[in-house]
Amino acid sequence: MTDRSREPTKTPAPAGVFTLVITGAPYSSQAPQTALHFAKAVLAANHQIDRVFLYGDGVHLASNLTAPPSDELNLSDTWARFLSDQDIPGVACIASALRRGLVNEAEMKRYDLPAANLREPFEIAGLGEWVSSTASESRVVYFHKGN
Amino acid sequence: MSTLIVIDQPPYGSWEGREALDMAFSLAAFDQPVSLLFCGAGVNWLRQGQDAARVQQKSVERNLAAAPIFGVEALLADGQACLRYGLAATDLIEQASITDFGPELTGRFDHVAFAG
Repeated sequence: MTDRSREPTKTPAPAGVFTLVITGAPYSSQAPQTALHFAKAVLAANHQIDRVFLYGDGVHLASNLTAPPSDELNLSDTWARFLSDQDIPGVACIASALRRGLVNEAEMKRYDLPAANLREPFEIAGLGEWVSSTASESRVVYFHKGN
Repeated sequence: MSTLIVIDQPPYGSWEGREALDMAFSLAAFDQPVSLLFCGAGVNWLRQGQDAARVQQKSVERNLAAAPIFGVEALLADGQACLRYGLAATDLIEQASITDFGPELTGRFDHVAFAG
């Protein structure tokens, strides 16, 4: 029989509030779509989501320049509408975003770039937003690209 | 809330490891206890004498050597992975220590997060 005596007997945080961290990009990973299904299930079970944090390749989800064929799901648009409807903050990490060419008006001016492409209601902010969730009572759930 | 950031990707092949390192440094900057664990091909992050100039990248060795100065509590290397990659303790940067990656280790942290 498996010895489970060393396993923790309780979760590190109460299950009422979740933070979602998405690091997998849309269309090259399943991460954003899986995260969306998870987010809808969280709300359906009367739990809360305090923020959705996009990190690494996950920042591509916040682009307003995605234009998939009309018979395919537009993940960026679907996520943006979900966040707006549910009044959940969506935050893209600034370092990840700048590396990958995702900028808002302020960063466009700061770096003298020819365009801005951040989709509303997403915002650009630092890793401090993620630290804030990690240090709080929220349960932080990660959605990676997988292997 | 203590956090263990796990890096299982080799250095230089992608930015996932670097961005995981940024996560660790951010936690430390906000005075949150954090340690790094390198497992699988990730133990190569801790190899001494790295030269990344020919792939136009900065060596991660210097970043890691600075981690304790920025408040990262421990740089841990999975012993099994070190064996697999032929790394003895003397091959690793001096700030690293070899450990067993298992429930006893992860159970000491409130959060365990993987890079990518």
